[in-house]
Amino acid sequence: MDTTVKPQYNDGVVKYLAVGAITFLVLGTLMGTFAAAQLAWPALNFDIAEITFARLRVMHTNTVIFAFGGMTLMATAFYTVQRTNGVKLWSNGMAWVTAILFTIGLLLVVVTISLGMTTGKEYHEQEWPLAIAIALVWTLYTLNFVMTIASRNKETHPNVYVSNWFFLGMMIAITYLYVVNGLAIPVSLFRSYSLFGGVQDAMIQWWWGHNAVGFFLTAGFLGIMYYFVPKQAQRPIYSYRLSVIHFWALMFGYVWLGAHHLQYTALPDWTGSLGAVISLAMIIPSWGGALNGMLTLSGAWDRLRTDYILRFLIISLAFYAMATFEGPVMAAKTVNALSHYTDWTVGHVHSGALGWVAMVSIGALYHMVMKLWNTEMYSMKLINFHFWLATIGTVFYIVAMWVSGIMQGLMWRAYDEYGTLAYTFAESVAAMHPYYVMRTVGGLLFFSGAVVMLYNVIMTIRTANARQEAGVAANA
Amino acid sequence: MLEYFKTDWSAMTTSDWVGLIITVAVFFGMLITFWRALRPSKRKELEEEKYKILDDD
Ligand code: HEM
Repeated sequence: MDTTVKPQYNDGVVKYLAVGAITFLVLGTLMGTFAAAQLAWPALNFDIAEITFARLRVMHTNTVIFAFGGMTLMATAFYTVQRTNGVKLWSNGMAWVTAILFTIGLLLVVVTISLGMTTGKEYHEQEWPLAIAIALVWTLYTLNFVMTIASRNKETHPNVYVSNWFFLGMMIAITYLYVVNGLAIPVSLFRSYSLFGGVQDAMIQWWWGHNAVGFFLTAGFLGIMYYFVPKQAQRPIYSYRLSVIHFWALMFGYVWLGAHHLQYTALPDWTGSLGAVISLAMIIPSWGGALNGMLTLSGAWDRLRTDYILRFLIISLAFYAMATFEGPVMAAKTVNALSHYTDWTVGHVHSGALGWVAMVSIGALYHMVMKLWNTEMYSMKLINFHFWLATIGTVFYIVAMWVSGIMQGLMWRAYDEYGTLAYTFAESVAAMHPYYVMRTVGGLLFFSGAVVMLYNVIMTIRTANARQEAGVAANA
Repeated sequence: MLEYFKTDWSAMTTSDWVGLIITVAVFFGMLITFWRALRPSKRKELEEEKYKILDDD
């Protein structure tokens, strides 16, 4: 019998963040689906400025990336740092302040964007007062995480588990990237101009932009993967040494990739080439990491038949592998010449965002809900249903964007026998209609899955006490 | 080929030097990491880490 006393963890704030993340998943995918529908049927913007595509798109990206993704990262980091280090949070009060301010900050971000206040920098649209507030809250999050690790008992926990490295790497990188890219001169309360100009501005912007993907949406979620895949599978990660290499290769490599967003621009040619070469090199650690996660199941693959949460986690790794192959291919100059500015990029983003980020988060969130409320889920069947809605929705989305993106690229570069463009831009827009409809259907499926999840989680929480009591009574 | 790799060292700005030094340092950093993580004598010690999280809650 296990007689060791387990520490009591600070789980209240984790519960709040987990429910918040699921709520923002529902809201963010609703906005995405609405934006997708507007591209198929433009009349759907009803001539209301606050919800026109230009604003809705940015409200969507901020809600899914920062609100859903950020709250998932906070929930999982606070959950795992306590368990892997055998201590409570360094400051539970500070964690609550972080969580509440982060929620308020992001709601304000979405509202200000809908009112048309934006810096115009992708993934950094928040105007300066909000950007400073977010950076400060992020620092509190990082400080609490670091101090929790530092306060562990070094006799019982001499080493720090690898998931913490990924979380910490993400926190540090995001802090300096966000702050440097945000340097600006304010001219009024909600207007500012970047400190950088021209080519430097573009370079700094995509240094941040790509690392928002590389650190926020990849390294942080790999921290989730390295903890939750072994826990859900009840088997250790396939190779710890591979995880160490995976970590350092990402930390050293990712910061170089930004220039692949700026091929064929005013940037020196070699910068784009360097970005492309390092992008290709990143396939190796990325696939190593994906295999490391998947092979954790070797010898126990049959578990996928019955464990629906594990299915989310493992399919996310398949999408991670797929997106980290596709990205480097698109970074190569010849492919980029076709793919850039087309829907192919949007498809690539969502094979990572839906297939990897959202799926791994969903798996981890289901796992945490059961542990935090110490109960089974209200309905396992609904998790299976959610799995299929999410998977089919994602496939619809990315297939539609592959076809429309490549078609766009080919239409834009087609010449007739006299050397003039074969199609007008408007013709290429009209040709996209069926694929935009297909994407909307995919989005609707994915969004419905998120609603099913929210319902299942709310019912689990509401019935947790009753089920625990029933369990105790049955055992008595 | 030689022409392609020709470098005008006198034209290097401070930013160029900072970039060059970071690139070379990162390259060696990677080599050292690979060596440290993959040397056979460390195998047992590193792989033991992975079992620790299985009963943490
Ligand atoms: C129901 C699910 C979703 C739908 C229907 C959807 C739809 C869309 C649409 C229509 C756009 C604008 C594309 C364009 O400008 O042509 C977009 C952009 C974007 N979405 Fe989503 N989205 C969904 C979920 C997500 C999630 C979960 C994430 C991240 C975790 C995400 C991240 C992004 C990003 C980063 C962009 C900007 C892409 C770029 O600049 O190339 N989306 N989404």
